[in-house]
Amino acid sequence: MYELLVWLEESMVGGALRGAGVWAYGWLNLVHILGIATLFGSVLVLDLRLLGLFRDSSIEAIARPTVPLAALGFAVAATSGAAMITVNASEYAGNPYLYVKLPAILVGLLNVVVVQRLAAWRHALAGAPLEPGERRALAFAGGCSLLIWLTVVGCGRMIGYW
Amino acid sequence: MRSLSRAAAVIVVQLTLLAAMPAAGHHGWSGNAGEISVTGELVTALSLAGPHGTMQVRDAEGRVWDITLAPAPRTHRAGLREDTIPTGAQVTVEGERNADAARHEIKVRRVTHGDRHYDVYPPPRG
Repeated sequence: MYELLVWLEESMVGGALRGAGVWAYGWLNLVHILGIATLFGSVLVLDLRLLGLFRDSSIEAIARPTVPLAALGFAVAATSGAAMITVNASEYAGNPYLYVKLPAILVGLLNVVVVQRLAAWRHALAGAPLEPGERRALAFAGGCSLLIWLTVVGCGRMIGYW
Repeated sequence: MRSLSRAAAVIVVQLTLLAAMPAAGHHGWSGNAGEISVTGELVTALSLAGPHGTMQVRDAEGRVWDITLAPAPRTHRAGLREDTIPTGAQVTVEGERNADAARHEIKVRRVTHGDRHYDVYPPPRG
């Protein structure tokens, strides 16, 4: 892991960002926060719907804007986050929050893959009526998603405090 | 469903680990303990990349201290540029030492070079 971090730090991206002026890190941080806000805001609304709130709106109606927005937010947050690490990557060696956060992101993506393969999810997106079992499966997936992304955001925030 | 339960178990373990971790300070001053002043040679020039300005000072006993300054824009506003103090120069840094006595790290309030003071943070209260 340390070798990987040193390699990141010595990469062209790391060098370019270190030479980009005193506000560079602040700007990067801003983009990262906007990405997180977009991702987490979308995830929160969708997962709460899967958990059974906001029943006035169908899962389909809520998924249509939130899923692509979550994907966009993830792309922005992941790109800016990777760039932030390259600025002083070796500093993060041994940081437990980073070591929890990165695998948690993988678990979050795995959860997305699993949900997309659920018959219940496909039925919901097609606007078909759901069986109670299907509703429970989606609620469970939504609860998992919320816990995972809370872990990711929480650990991410704590990295700098270690 | 089984992979979902496994994912849930992983998260529970992670949250437990998170709760068990001691709160440590990098932001703020809570992770620091005691005012300290170190005079020595600047061995690594100021860097204004990353979340905080950093540099390294070697004292008379040969110990190399990691110096953490304010975030880059604030350090810059205090008058410090990356080339303001050349390496090899004698500097005095005043601030608070990391609470972990094994680490030679100081979060500084003031850097003195020659007859110039750079106040990165205000002096301690009281």
